[in-house]
Amino acid sequence: MFRITRRALALDGLLRAVRSPAAGAVVTFVGTTRNTNAGRAVVRLEYEAFVPMAEREMRALAAQASKRWPLCGVAMMHRVGRVPIGQASVAIAVSAGHRAEAFAACHWLIDRLKEIVPIWKREHFRGGTVWIGSQQGGPEPPMRGRPAAGPRRIRTRHAGARRRPR
Amino acid sequence: MADAIHVELRFFAALREQVGARLEREVRRGTTVGALWRALVAEHPGLGAVPVRFAVNQRYVEASHRLAAGDEVAFFPPVSGGG
Repeated sequence: MFRITRRALALDGLLRAVRSPAAGAVVTFVGTTRNTNAGRAVVRLEYEAFVPMAEREMRALAAQASKRWPLCGVAMMHRVGRVPIGQASVAIAVSAGHRAEAFAACHWLIDRLKEIVPIWKREHFRGGTVWIGSQQGGPEPPMRGRPAAGPRRIRTRHAGARRRPR
Repeated sequence: MADAIHVELRFFAALREQVGARLEREVRRGTTVGALWRALVAEHPGLGAVPVRFAVNQRYVEASHRLAAGDEVAFFPPVSGGG
């Protein structure tokens, strides 16, 4: 199952999709929307995808992972549209004969998804909005306190930020 | 243009907000994706502020990829899926 959906992610369906009598382990990763990013208070997140290509790229990643590790099943879902804080925006399930390869493949899949699957995240924070990676939707807010520890992100600065915060 | 071909353009996220989700263009046969992008940036200078990747018919391509009639060309700002 490789799906982009506007609905809340249903993990039972994801687990069913990777069920296999040959599996001794099922590893899941669920990415959830956090209430802070780079020291700013995040109100909600909004995702956009190039849906057919995103589903195709997820399927291609699963095929690559299955060549690299002996897996029984892979399923990936990503939510688009508005996602309230604390809810799942991405979910991955991997089943394998043993846990080591299931953990390794699941980790690799989420890292690769964030690098190549055509999905974009828009962060609505107190005082503005920004497309993560483009920094085009609003001014870079001042950093307050310690930046939230998080996954590596491409950050670009430029003089083109035109939109004023709402 | 006798050797003109029709291509469909799609834009996403920060790029979409500047030029809209879809455009249609006539380009000379053999035009590269990179040359098309430079022409778009010349028309819409704000586009050049964001690093871009290209996909033709839903597959990633390099800037040197040459366009064929009916191609769907997608322009992506840096992707940022995940939690």
